[in-house]
Amino acid sequence: MNDWTIILRSLRARLFSTVTTAALVAIAVALMLVLLMMRDAAQQAFRRGGGDMHLLVSADQSSMVSFLNGVLYANPPRAPIPWARYQQLRQSLPLGDNGYAIPTQMGDSFLGQPVLATDTEFFSKLRPNPGEAWVFTHGKAFDGDFQVVLGAQAARATGLKLGHKIVLTHGAGESAEHDHDHDEFKYEVVGILAPTGGPHDRALFTSLQSTWIIHAQDRREREAEGKHVETSAADLTDADRKVTGVYVRLATRGDSDAPANLPQVFDMLRKDSSIMVASPSDEARRLLVMVGNIDIVFRAMAGVVLVSSAISIMIALYNSMEQRRRQIAVLRVLGCSRPRIFGLVLTESAVLGVLGAAAGLVISLIGVQSVVLLMKAKFGLVVHPTLTPDAAIIVAGAAVALAALAGLVPAVMAYATPVAKNLKPLA
Amino acid sequence: MTDTLKLREESGAKPPALSVRGLRFRYVGAVDTPPDAWTIDLPTLDVAQREQVLLTGGSGIGKSTLLHLIAGLVDPAEGTVLVDGTNIHALSGAPRDRFRGSAIGMIFQTFNLLSGFSALENVLAALMFSSVPRGKHHELAEATLSRLGITRLHAAPEELSVGQQQRVAVARAVVCRPALVLADEPTASLDPENAEHAMDLIQSVCRELGAALVCVSHDPAMSARFERREKLGSLVSTAATSATSAATVAGGSR
Repeated sequence: MNDWTIILRSLRARLFSTVTTAALVAIAVALMLVLLMMRDAAQQAFRRGGGDMHLLVSADQSSMVSFLNGVLYANPPRAPIPWARYQQLRQSLPLGDNGYAIPTQMGDSFLGQPVLATDTEFFSKLRPNPGEAWVFTHGKAFDGDFQVVLGAQAARATGLKLGHKIVLTHGAGESAEHDHDHDEFKYEVVGILAPTGGPHDRALFTSLQSTWIIHAQDRREREAEGKHVETSAADLTDADRKVTGVYVRLATRGDSDAPANLPQVFDMLRKDSSIMVASPSDEARRLLVMVGNIDIVFRAMAGVVLVSSAISIMIALYNSMEQRRRQIAVLRVLGCSRPRIFGLVLTESAVLGVLGAAAGLVISLIGVQSVVLLMKAKFGLVVHPTLTPDAAIIVAGAAVALAALAGLVPAVMAYATPVAKNLKPLA
Repeated sequence: MTDTLKLREESGAKPPALSVRGLRFRYVGAVDTPPDAWTIDLPTLDVAQREQVLLTGGSGIGKSTLLHLIAGLVDPAEGTVLVDGTNIHALSGAPRDRFRGSAIGMIFQTFNLLSGFSALENVLAALMFSSVPRGKHHELAEATLSRLGITRLHAAPEELSVGQQQRVAVARAVVCRPALVLADEPTASLDPENAEHAMDLIQSVCRELGAALVCVSHDPAMSARFERREKLGSLVSTAATSATSAATVAGGSR
C-alpha cells in the first residue's frame, strides 16, 4: 500500500470518467502525432519529387512554376525549348559519367493522368529517390516508339495491364475544347513501375519521338487542309522536335550529392533569359514554407483538442472532489498531510495524462499505418510517415504537463478540504 | 498475544496519554454563540496511560469538537493539548499529521472506511502515514484484523456486515499502536446487541494494546462500561464567564 495504490483506487472508483477523460487525451495526442507524421511524410514526398536531380531547366516564367509543372505535374508547361537548344545545353553542362540532362516533354494525358515524354536515360540514370533506382513490377522500360510505361498510381487509376493498347489525349485534360485523341496512334503498355512515393507515380512515360510524331501529324494535317496523312519519324522537322523541360544532374565524386560547381552552373544558366533554371530542392522548401500556414492551423486544432482534454480532466476531478471530501478527511485523520493530499490529486491528474498519452501514441502508430495502407490501396500513394522520438516526447510531455496543470484546481480544493466538517455523519 | 500485537513499550515514567490545560475554542462566525462565549472551555482534563474515560453530554454540547481539538484537526483559541507528552498544537502541518497518524487512533460513528479499498487496505492506509517501518505493515495489519476476527481481508467494506465494518474501523484505529484512541459515538449506528459487542471489542483491544481510550457518547447505557465517566456539561462551560465557572476535573468522578 502506497500513494500509487490510493491514486489507482481513486481512478478505478471512477472508471467511466477515467476511461473517457484518458480517451480524450489519447485522441488529442494521436491527432497531433498523426498530423506531425503526415506533415513529415508530405515534406518527404515533396522533396522526393525531384528525385536525385540537381537542376530543372524549362522555359516557364518562374522557378516555382517550373517546379510545379515540371516535377509535380501541376500543369503542362506552355513554353517549349527547341531540341537544338537542348543539345547545346547538354554539351555545355559538366555531366561527366554519372550526370545526366534528361529531356522531357509534357502536354498529353490519358484519362486525366499526365504523360511524360522522355528518353531512356530517365529510367537508367535518374533516381526517383536518392540511391534508389526505378523498379518495374511488370515489364520493362520502353525501347521504341509508341510504347508506354505506367507509374504505379497511374496503373491503379487506369486499370491498365501489360500489352494493353491505349490512345493518348493531346492536352492534359484541363481544357476539353482543345483536347483531342490521336486514334491513329496506339501505345502499348510495356512496363509498370513500383511505387516511389513521388509525383511520377501518377504519370505515364513514353518516348519523346512518339510525342513528336503525334504533334507532327497535327501540323501535317493542318498543312494538308484536313486531309488524312500518315506521319513517321522521317517526317519530323526541327520545329517538331522540342522539349518542355530538362532534368539535370551534374557530375559528382564518390558519395557526394552536391557538386562544388553547382552554384556556378546555376548562375551560368540563370544568365540565359530564354530559359528558367530551378533547384527542385529549394523550390520544394519554398513550397513547404508557403503551405506552412495550413500546417499551423492543423497543429493549432490539435492543440485545442489537447487543451480541451485537459479541461475535461479538470472538470472530472473537480466533480469527483465533492464525492471525495470525506475520503480526504479520513486520510488526513490517518496522518496524511495537506501537501501529500495535494500531490496525490495532482499525480492522479498527471496519471490520466500519462495513460492518455500512451494510448494516443499507440493509436497514432496504428492510425498512421491505417492511413498509409488506405492511401496505397485507394490512391496508390506511398507515404513513409515516421515518428521521431523528439516529436513523441514533446507531444506526450505536453499532454502530461497539461493534465497535471489541469489537476491544480482540484488539488487546491483537496488541499483546503476542512477535515472536521467532512467527518460528520451523513444525515 | 503475538509479538506483533505486543503492548506499547513501557519505558520509565510515561506522561499522561492526554493532558488538556485551559482549552478554549469557538467557531468563527457561529450565529448561535454569543460573541463572548466559548464553544469549548475546558480548564483541565488528564487521562492516564491505558485509562478509559467516557465523556457524556447532550447533542451539540461540543463532544465531537473536543475530540477534533484533541486530535489536532482544529486549533484552539487558547490552551494546550498534550498527547503522550507532545503538544499537538505546537506542531505544524505535516509533522502534526504524522504525529496524529502515529499517536492517535480515531473511531467514528459511521466508521468512515475508505470505499474502493479492501478491509486490509483500509488498515494499511493508517500504517502508510505512520512511523511504523514499511516492512512491517502487512504483517501488522493482517495480525490486527485477525485479532478482531476479520478473515475476509480483501473484501470491500460494503461486502462486510455492519459489525465487521466496525471491527475494521477499530483495527484501523489501533494498528499503529497509538497512545490514545478517540471514539466518537462509536455505537450510535448500531443496534443494542451490536453496540454491546462493539464496545466490548474497543475496550478490550485498547486494554490489550495499552492504549488509553476517550469515548464520547450520549448513550446512557454506556456509563456502566467505564469506571471513569465525565459529564461534558460539567467540564465545558458555555457561559461567557467560563474562565471562573469550570471546575478542574482531572481525577474527577469515577
